[in-house]
Amino acid sequence: MPENTATAKKQIKVHHRGRGAQVGIYLGKLLRMFIYQNDWKVLPMSALIAGLVAMVVRKRLFIDMEGSLTGAFAIVCVGIWNGCFNSIQSICRERDVIKREHRLGMHISAYICAHMIYQALLCLAQTLITLYILQLANVQYPLEGRITPYFMVDFGISLFLITYASDMMSLWISSLARSTTTAMTIMPFVLIFQLVFSGGMLNLPPFAQPMTNFTISNPGLKLICAQADVNSRPFVTISNMLSRMHDKEVGGTYTLRQLVELLQDESNPKIAEIRAGKLDDGTTVGKLIDAIAEDETVKANLDEGVTIKTTVGEMMDLVGEDKVKDYINKSASEASFKEDYVPSDDNIMDYWFRIFAFVVLFAALATITLEFIDKDKR
Amino acid sequence: MNVIKVLLMLFLGENSMPEVILRALFIISLWKIFKKSGVKSWWALIPWAREYQLSRCAGREQEGRVWSVCSFGMTVLNLIVMCFSFKETDPEMLVITLILISIILVYMIYSLRVFSGLCELYGARKRWLWLWSTTYTRWLPGLIFAFNKKYQPAWQVEDFRAEMERLAFHGSAEVMDKGLTVNLKERSVREFFQKKVLLRDIHMSIPQGHMVLLLGGSGAGKTTFLNAVNGYEKANAEVVLNSVNMYKQYKKMQYEVGFVPQQEMMRGKDTVLSTLLDAAKLRLPKEVPAAMRKKRVAEVMEIFGLTPVKNNLVEKLSGGQKKRLSISMEFISNPSLFILDEPDSGLDGVMARELFLQLRKVADTGKIVIVITHTPDRVIDLFDDVIVLAKDSARTGRLAFYGSIEEARTFFGREKMEQIVKSVNRKEEGGDGLADDFVAKYAEVKYA
Repeated sequence: MPENTATAKKQIKVHHRGRGAQVGIYLGKLLRMFIYQNDWKVLPMSALIAGLVAMVVRKRLFIDMEGSLTGAFAIVCVGIWNGCFNSIQSICRERDVIKREHRLGMHISAYICAHMIYQALLCLAQTLITLYILQLANVQYPLEGRITPYFMVDFGISLFLITYASDMMSLWISSLARSTTTAMTIMPFVLIFQLVFSGGMLNLPPFAQPMTNFTISNPGLKLICAQADVNSRPFVTISNMLSRMHDKEVGGTYTLRQLVELLQDESNPKIAEIRAGKLDDGTTVGKLIDAIAEDETVKANLDEGVTIKTTVGEMMDLVGEDKVKDYINKSASEASFKEDYVPSDDNIMDYWFRIFAFVVLFAALATITLEFIDKDKR
Repeated sequence: MNVIKVLLMLFLGENSMPEVILRALFIISLWKIFKKSGVKSWWALIPWAREYQLSRCAGREQEGRVWSVCSFGMTVLNLIVMCFSFKETDPEMLVITLILISIILVYMIYSLRVFSGLCELYGARKRWLWLWSTTYTRWLPGLIFAFNKKYQPAWQVEDFRAEMERLAFHGSAEVMDKGLTVNLKERSVREFFQKKVLLRDIHMSIPQGHMVLLLGGSGAGKTTFLNAVNGYEKANAEVVLNSVNMYKQYKKMQYEVGFVPQQEMMRGKDTVLSTLLDAAKLRLPKEVPAAMRKKRVAEVMEIFGLTPVKNNLVEKLSGGQKKRLSISMEFISNPSLFILDEPDSGLDGVMARELFLQLRKVADTGKIVIVITHTPDRVIDLFDDVIVLAKDSARTGRLAFYGSIEEARTFFGREKMEQIVKSVNRKEEGGDGLADDFVAKYAEVKYA
C-alpha cells in the first residue's frame, strides 16, 4: 500500500463495504467458527432430544387424539428448546468484539442478517435430524400433505419455523444481555413462559388467555395439531378406561314400582325412543311394558325389591362392546372438536405466517437493541 | 377524603394515619440529616427525590437511583389500586400484587444498602440496620442521627459548581493543516437528571509524525478523552485531523483513526489470518482488489511479527501476540491517527519495548500515535510529546500539560513520568494533590 494512501483517499471518492458485502464477511466468519466454536454440538444434541421424545410419543403420535396432542406439544417443546439453545449466547459472548467492529463501520443489520442466515441453516439441519429420528422411531406419519403433496415436507416446514422463531427470540435475548450469565438466567423464564402459555396443555384462566398471543408455542401447537388432524383422531381415553373396568361390578336394589315408573316415563326421550321400538308381532315395546304393568301379579308386588347385579362388561355385551366404544370415541371426539385444529389450508397458512411474523419481529428487535451497543458503560 | 388519601400517598407514600405520622417523623429527620451533609434540606419534602438525596449523603448514589425508581413504582401501583378499587380476587390485582412484591424486594435490598452507607457515614454500628430496615422504625435512628450531636457525618456532599467556575480557563488551539487539533470545551454526561462534567478545557495541536504519551491517574478521563478525540463519544468540541473536521465528517473519518482498545476484543476461535483478512475487508475501501488486500495483510503480519502464527487460533496466541494482532487489525487501513489504550498491559519490559519500537516506526511514517501507558519511563525515549490529564477538585478531567518530554520535566520539576502522575493525583489516591495548581499554571503559561 502506498505511503500517501490517506491523501489519495481524500482525492478519490472512497467506498467501504456496504451491508450486502458485510453479510458475506460475517456469514463466512460464522461458518468458520461453526467448527472452532463448537456450534456443531447443537446437532448431536438435537438428535438426542428428538430420540428421547420419539421414545415416548412414537406409538400414539398421529394415531389417536390424546397421543397426537401430547406428541404435538412434545415436538413444539423440542423445536423451542433447540432454537433457544442455538443462539442464546451467540451475541452476548462477543459483545465487546461487536462494539469494536461497530465503531469501525460494521452495520448491525448486516451482522444480524448474517446470523439469521447462519441460524436458519442450523435450524434446518436440526429439523432434518429430528424428522429422521422420528421416522427411525417408527412414528406413523400420514402420507399426504395439505399444502405440499408430502406430509413430511409440511411437517418439516412447521418444525423448522418453530425452531427458527425460537432461535430468533433467543438471538434477541442475547443482544439484550450484557453477559452469557445474564442470558442463561433469562432463558428458563422464557422457556417456562412459552410452555405455560402455549394454551394447549394447561387450562388458562380467561384473563391469562391473551398472553398466548405472545408465544411461539401457541400457534406452533395449533399448527402441529392441525397437521396431525387431531379432531378426527379417536379419543381413546374413555374407551380404554371402560376396558379396564370390564370386570367391575355395577348394580343395586330397586322396587318394582321404580322400574315400572322409569319405563313408563314418556317425558324421558331415551325411554320414549325405547318405548317406540317395534316388536316382531308389530306391537311396540311401550305397549308391552304397559301390559306388564297392568298385570295383577306385578301390581301386587310393586313394593317388592329387585336386585340388579352385573359387570360393566356384561352391560356392554348387551349392546355390543365395540359398538359402545365406537359410540363413546365418536362422541368424545365430537365434544373435543376445536376449530383451531381443523387441518384446512387457511389454518395452516395462517399459523405459518404467524410464526414467521415472530421471526421478523425478533430479528428486528435484535437489530434495534444492538444499534444501542455504543451506549454500554465502559 | 379520597383526594386527601391520594395526596398523602403521593407525598408521603402512605395514607393510613399511624403510618403517615411515622413517615412525617422520618421526613423531619431527613431534613436535618440533609442539612448536616450539606444537601439542601427541602429535598426531604420531594417524594422519590429524597431517597436519592439520602443516598448521595451516604455515598451510595447508584443504589439510591434504584431505590428512588422503586419508590416511584410502588407509589404508582398503590395509586392504581386506590383509584380502580380492585377486588382481591380480580386477576388485575394478582398481577399488581406480583409486581408490587418484586418491587418491594428490590426496594428493601437497595434501601438497606443506602442505610448501610449512612451507618458508615455516621460511624454507627451495622446493628442499626435492623431499625432502618422497616418503615415503622426507621424514623427512630433517623431522628437520633439527625438531632444527637454525637452523630456527625464523616464527609459532606460536595457541590462542585462553584469550584468548577473557579477553575475554568477558556483558551483554544490553532488549527493545523497537517496534524491533529483538539479544542474540547466540555464533555459531560447526564446521570439521573444530574449533569456530570467529565472533561473540560482541553486544547492542543499535535503535528504529524509525533508519538504522544497520554498520562493521568485513574479516573482522570484518559479513555474519555481519546473517545472524544476519535469522535466515538462526541463532546462539545472541535477536532480537526489533517484539515477535516472529525465530528462533521465522522463516517468518512472513522477509517482514518485506528483505535486499539485496552482489552483484546477479538474472536478467540478464529485464526490470525482470517481475522486480519476480515479486518481488511471491513476497513479497506472496496475498490482495493483482493490480491492487494492479501498483500497488505501479509505486509502487516510481517511488520508485527505474526507471520509464523498466521494459522493459529487467536485464543492460542501469547499476550504479546494478541496485542500485536489487535494493533495490526487497526494498522491494516493505514490510519492517519493511531490511538492505543494501554497496549503494553500484561507485557514484560522487553516485549513492551519491542512493541513501542514498532509504534515509533509507525509514527515515523508521518502518522500521529497517541498511547496511554502506566509504565511510561521504560520507553519514554521513544516519545515526542506528553499530554498530562488530571482530575481537579471538581472531579473533572483537565489538561495539566501538553508539550515535549523535556518541557514536561521542567514544568513539573520532576524527572520521571511516574512522578509527574503522582504529583497530579489526589492525596487520597496516594498522590501529591497538585492537580489544580498545575492546571492553573499550564493555563497561565498557555493563555496568558
